[in-house]
Amino acid sequence: MGKVQLQISRRTFLKGALTGSAGAALALGALEEAAAAPSGKGATPWYYRGEIKRAYSVCDMCPWRCGVIVQSVNGRVYKIDGNPADPKSRGMLCARGQAGASFMYDPDRLRSPMIRIGERGEGKFQEVTWEEALDAMAQKLLAIKEQYGPESVAIFGHTSGEFWFTDYFAQAWGTPNASKPSSSLCTSPREEASLLTVGLPVGGHEPVDWEGVRCVTLIGSHIGEDSRNTVMQDFTRAWARGAKVIVVDPRFSSAAAKADYWLPIKPGTDTALLLAWINVLITEHRYDAEYVAEWTQGFDKLAAHVAEMTPEWAAAITELDPELIRTTARVMAEHLPQSVIVPGRHVTWYGNDTQRMRAVYIINALLGAYGREGGIYFNKSPYIEAYPHPPFAVAGSSGGCSAEPGAENGELPVGPSGKARADGARTKFLRGPTAMQELIEPMITGEPYPIKALIVYGVNLLHSIPNVPRTIEALKKLDLVVAIDVLPMEHVAWADIVLPEATIYERFEDVWTVSHKTPYIALREPAVEPYADTKPAWWMARELGLRVGLEKYFKWETVEEFVATRLQSIGYTVEKLREEGGVIVQKGKPYLSDFKGASPFKTPSGKIELYSEALALAGHDPLPVYTPVEEPPPGWFRLLYGRHPVHTFAKTQNTPLLHQLNPENELWLNAEVAASLGLKNGDRVWLENQDGARSGPIKVKATQRIRPDAVFMSHGFGHNAPGLSLANGKGASDAALITRYALDPICGGAGMRVNFVRIVKEA
Amino acid sequence: MALYAFLLDLSRCIGCEACAAACIAGNELPAGAQYIHLIEQTHGVFPHLTGGFKNHRCYHCADAACVKVCPTGALYKEDGLTRLNRDVCIGCAYCTDACPFNVPQIVDGRSSKCDACAATTKAGGQPWCVRTCPSDALRYGERREILAEAHARVEAIRARYPKARVYGEAEAGGLGVVIVLPDAPEAFDLPANPQTPLLLDVWQKVVQPAAVGLTGLSVLVTGVAAIIARRNHMKELAELRAQQAQTEQNAGAQEGER
Repeated sequence: MGKVQLQISRRTFLKGALTGSAGAALALGALEEAAAAPSGKGATPWYYRGEIKRAYSVCDMCPWRCGVIVQSVNGRVYKIDGNPADPKSRGMLCARGQAGASFMYDPDRLRSPMIRIGERGEGKFQEVTWEEALDAMAQKLLAIKEQYGPESVAIFGHTSGEFWFTDYFAQAWGTPNASKPSSSLCTSPREEASLLTVGLPVGGHEPVDWEGVRCVTLIGSHIGEDSRNTVMQDFTRAWARGAKVIVVDPRFSSAAAKADYWLPIKPGTDTALLLAWINVLITEHRYDAEYVAEWTQGFDKLAAHVAEMTPEWAAAITELDPELIRTTARVMAEHLPQSVIVPGRHVTWYGNDTQRMRAVYIINALLGAYGREGGIYFNKSPYIEAYPHPPFAVAGSSGGCSAEPGAENGELPVGPSGKARADGARTKFLRGPTAMQELIEPMITGEPYPIKALIVYGVNLLHSIPNVPRTIEALKKLDLVVAIDVLPMEHVAWADIVLPEATIYERFEDVWTVSHKTPYIALREPAVEPYADTKPAWWMARELGLRVGLEKYFKWETVEEFVATRLQSIGYTVEKLREEGGVIVQKGKPYLSDFKGASPFKTPSGKIELYSEALALAGHDPLPVYTPVEEPPPGWFRLLYGRHPVHTFAKTQNTPLLHQLNPENELWLNAEVAASLGLKNGDRVWLENQDGARSGPIKVKATQRIRPDAVFMSHGFGHNAPGLSLANGKGASDAALITRYALDPICGGAGMRVNFVRIVKEA
Repeated sequence: MALYAFLLDLSRCIGCEACAAACIAGNELPAGAQYIHLIEQTHGVFPHLTGGFKNHRCYHCADAACVKVCPTGALYKEDGLTRLNRDVCIGCAYCTDACPFNVPQIVDGRSSKCDACAATTKAGGQPWCVRTCPSDALRYGERREILAEAHARVEAIRARYPKARVYGEAEAGGLGVVIVLPDAPEAFDLPANPQTPLLLDVWQKVVQPAAVGLTGLSVLVTGVAAIIARRNHMKELAELRAQQAQTEQNAGAQEGER
């Protein structure tokens, strides 16, 4: 009964492709050999239609990246399941992962390289050959390099082949202006705060030791609506085991509905709550005193700093019950050190986010959570060599959600003509993660130096970067815009050259390496041939490299060769990796006890820095301070946005299966407020922000689940690309209403919850 | 013969809709067909709220009204589950009216609802929704084991949810979806006592006899085909009567036990 049967033995999988009933049994994850196909009733199920081929890969429907087994029959993918051997999926997948085939077979896909024939933004293109497209791109890039230097080419990338452009090609070509939205539009505050406080990045896989956790605190993390598979598994299992759950959210989220304590906080005041929690932990002597003495520094300064920040002080700011603040601090403390505030993921909210995240980590340190079982483990990267390329023109990659380029030596990467990054790192903001939104201005003003070309790989520019009118102005000014994508997204219409990409199910890809409690390496092999005239990113990057004089970096001819060389460094071959279930799991060093007295904290002091000397020296607050944020005027609401469980970014709204489950977003509006405005469920309204930007129409969801001072919508809707036949014109775009953002002076993050909207009944 | 059932733990369900997507993908459902719907449930006034998700799907009643009213045998019971053979469905929509849970839909002119992944489970697999559920809110297996698991889970959550209970042990003759319910059925939009609607009585007493009469008439007109249809109708009528007698007997027995 139950999930036990999901544990497929490795030997069963070794059999590879099989036909008939045994094949079907494998496809279904059954232990027993399946009966022959039944005759008569209904159409023959896909798993009886022919030889079932299964390919190991890693899901690309969201950036979490669960290991999958992609099952195809007669050259068509029918079913994608979690790979039971994969530490993230553990045999399960979320709705988006289940819809991978639907994404791949979207009839709206880009099918051929194209060159623009109309004006930018018009979306008029002519289909061309790959030679024509790549030759034109190479020629233009070389001309720009000649006139402005290689640094004048910016490269934005996201999704699973980003490495080939934002890392490999960017470094070989010589531009430090490569950027991923996962940094300054998402996680850079939590990463920089973590580096400043404990000397370690959080990393792509948040190192919460869920298996033993006894108290989980979420601040704005809406697990369940944010449907990262592993986190949902871990959270619900911890909950079922009886772990206490504390949820801080202006909205009664799916996670809040599971919480033992829900704190419906006034948006923008989280730091006050965190400081009051610190006050309770310290004044009531409820912190882990032994741990604090051994592993932290600056405790006395912290204690003095929060002395007056009582729950009553915070209650007036946060609009929470002071007793609830006090009680929840005590609950956290009762369960230490198996008590954790989860770092969260998209934390670029108000521009003071690095300081808020520092407060989160200070509490985790007071609870003694770092390096303790059931607390926060230390993740470790898997051991495998990089491909042995010649030295790059720019050393230091663009950085992902957890890396700071050049952080190793404290220097920012510099291009061949001596130019450092143009986004203002170390000048406009203190630290070094890339800030995509700060690369738009140089495209318009030419300051500090001109950016003349933009290669966009899988980033929907007009749904991710705040201030859409400014991005469009930049797109008009550039000498070259190249869009590499799967679908005809909004920004693709602004490209001069469009390169259609094969999806992850259609291409071989570099092995996927994950820094984790149990570090691991996953195989990514294709299940079927690429659709129409689409190509993998590695092929595009290589063909481009050969055309712009970068032959020495592309001595390998195929990615299989590239992967084989890397696997050789750990004594593996692709075949062996496949035979072993597609995943190599290595040993980690998760706990303090694994360090035998040495410090795992890579701060200057080797301790957790409750008080940050580095911030003090740079003129920033060395201890987190609550700073009020601007409040919406009467009649206006703070615009909050987040996830719907079946969608990722602005990427999946056109995927037929997911469109069926959730075709448009809704405007969450407090029920009493809705009534006072004469609005009821299902009414369609428009939204207008403080700068006159409008989006809609969007359906009203009059609900008790949100505070009266804010509205909420799921992100990624309101597409206006005619080529997206399902998503076009559905719902409202939060991105269109985020014309303002607050730059975090420490990490360069773009705080986007600083926009206010009013409801307009007519367009 | 063993009875099979799903466990549906609404205390664990976090509303991610992975089950709904896996069902559509694994069963290759046609566009518009959907066997599982997640429906948000919220009670109270801000900020004093409770809530969760109703996982709306066929509950596989032992005493299945849809099977009773189905004139073609497209809906039938097997292993304790309610199967649907769309090939012989004529789209009469009696099942949509009869279902006490409002589950079957007419899609492309035929009934559409969960058949408990008949083909998949017969091939030795788990239903697609169960296999993918990240929150372990779904399981599938022999009904007696599922019931035991449901009771164990209810006990485990009672501290959090004093009103927690198992739903579906006896409702509608015993459901093939045994639900771990953290609150009263009404809080999850489930009927406290799912009843075969009055309509079904009307069907049995009025419509069916009339239909039999009509069938008799059509024998004269259309010959052999109608003879087969009549035979089916008569057989069905006999079965329905037998079932009704059985139901009454059972009801009497239960009352006797009380």
